[in-house]
Amino acid sequence: MSDHILSAFDRDLEAVQALVVKMGGIVEEQILNSAKALETRDAELAKAVRLRDRAVDELEEKINEEAARLIALRAPAARDLRVALSVIKISASLERVGDYAKNIAKRSKVLLDTPPISGTPAAIRRMAQATESMLKDALDSYIQRDVELARDVRQRDLEVDQMYNALFREFLTYMLEDPRNITPCMHLHFIAKNIERMGDHATSIAEQVIYLVTGELPDDSRPKSSSVIETEA
Amino acid sequence: MNDMTLTERAVNATDNKITARNVQVYYGESHAIKDVDVDILDKTVTAFIGPSGCGKSTFLRCLNRMNDTIDICRVQGEILLDSEDIYDRRVDPVQLRAKVGMVFQKPNPFPKSIYDNVAYGPKIHGLTRNRTELDEVVEASLRKAALWNEVKDRLTAPGTGLSGGQQQRLCIARAIATSPEVLLMDEPCSALDPIATAQVEELIDELRTNFSVVIVTHSMQQAARVSQKTAFFHLGNLVEYDDTDKIFTNPTDPRTESYITGRIG
Repeated sequence: MSDHILSAFDRDLEAVQALVVKMGGIVEEQILNSAKALETRDAELAKAVRLRDRAVDELEEKINEEAARLIALRAPAARDLRVALSVIKISASLERVGDYAKNIAKRSKVLLDTPPISGTPAAIRRMAQATESMLKDALDSYIQRDVELARDVRQRDLEVDQMYNALFREFLTYMLEDPRNITPCMHLHFIAKNIERMGDHATSIAEQVIYLVTGELPDDSRPKSSSVIETEA
Repeated sequence: MNDMTLTERAVNATDNKITARNVQVYYGESHAIKDVDVDILDKTVTAFIGPSGCGKSTFLRCLNRMNDTIDICRVQGEILLDSEDIYDRRVDPVQLRAKVGMVFQKPNPFPKSIYDNVAYGPKIHGLTRNRTELDEVVEASLRKAALWNEVKDRLTAPGTGLSGGQQQRLCIARAIATSPEVLLMDEPCSALDPIATAQVEELIDELRTNFSVVIVTHSMQQAARVSQKTAFFHLGNLVEYDDTDKIFTNPTDPRTESYITGRIG
């Protein structure tokens, strides 16, 4: 799409989208670092993740201000309007993902005082890496305006959901085996759930990209695996 | 999704008021309007947008045969008002213009009193039988134009003494005094300040309960605010005609998108 006659409009749109990309970069690191801190039982790294969440929150606020200013001053229409709306929604998703990473960091600190549950932190880290890669591709699809890549991200949420379901069953088994496992497993379960929610937010971002480019949200429902609620409860 | 549409924005008319088919307009050698097909709905505000020289005003003027007054102008194709061809030889353009009223860019009240400005149309068309009826028509028209309260104590004062916004509303009162079925507005707010613009826009929204309104505007925000249907003209072609919401959120044609987002002028 060619440039606006009013070049300041282009600069405003680019500036707010650059903030989203910057925010996305920080949030990706937060996911990886929170999972790494969990697996390596690294209290310092967990603390760094907790503290860095503030930067994520500030960026979200800044993006909302810029988007509001854009709407008020430039009266964007059509695709420009969808850019303004999508930066608000994408930054809200990123902010939530940042909160989940912070929560993981808090829980990993508590987990330092409990006996390790063998294998699961590594499984959680693999799940976090899969989710981070979804988020990365969702943001790449945003930068490239790549609907195909966005659709691919949407499909991959299924894998993360399946990883979560597998972990859910694993935690149940550990807790049934030994009640002393309940405290760490409850925390680990919330961590796994947090990562599963991150995947949902990455999917939302991918859907925003589809909306931004095509003007329509995908009308087919998201791919779903059989949930733990149906199989276990 | 339709049940989610805000009722205020909904187009509740389905009847065509004006049907244009294969309309061509030439100014001498130049082909100003090319193959325009459009259905203008009753009781709906339709906005024509597009860059200067795109043909939107030319096309608007075809709808009440204002182009007849331009010697070198030729109109071809079919324009039907309630399924009657307005270019039929038997149609009297003066009678047509009583049915299809027009408001221009610059307020142009007659150099007469406020009362006579509004009474002029009903008088020459013989729409009233006596002074009492004429008084009623003048009052009703001024009320519909949201001007009555401001001028009721000085109806004999000259129309040209009013403010710009009041003059434009006086012209609207004059246009609706003949009980037209369609009201054409050619940039009715471009000479008005924002307050007067808002008053005229409010008026346009009220007028659509009784008339079909067609407005040409350079302000895309105005088209978005007041209309239910929008037509985008470019280089004499009707590029896209759709619901206003659709045009401003997700237009189909890339030329429309470029224009409304400020990329081509």
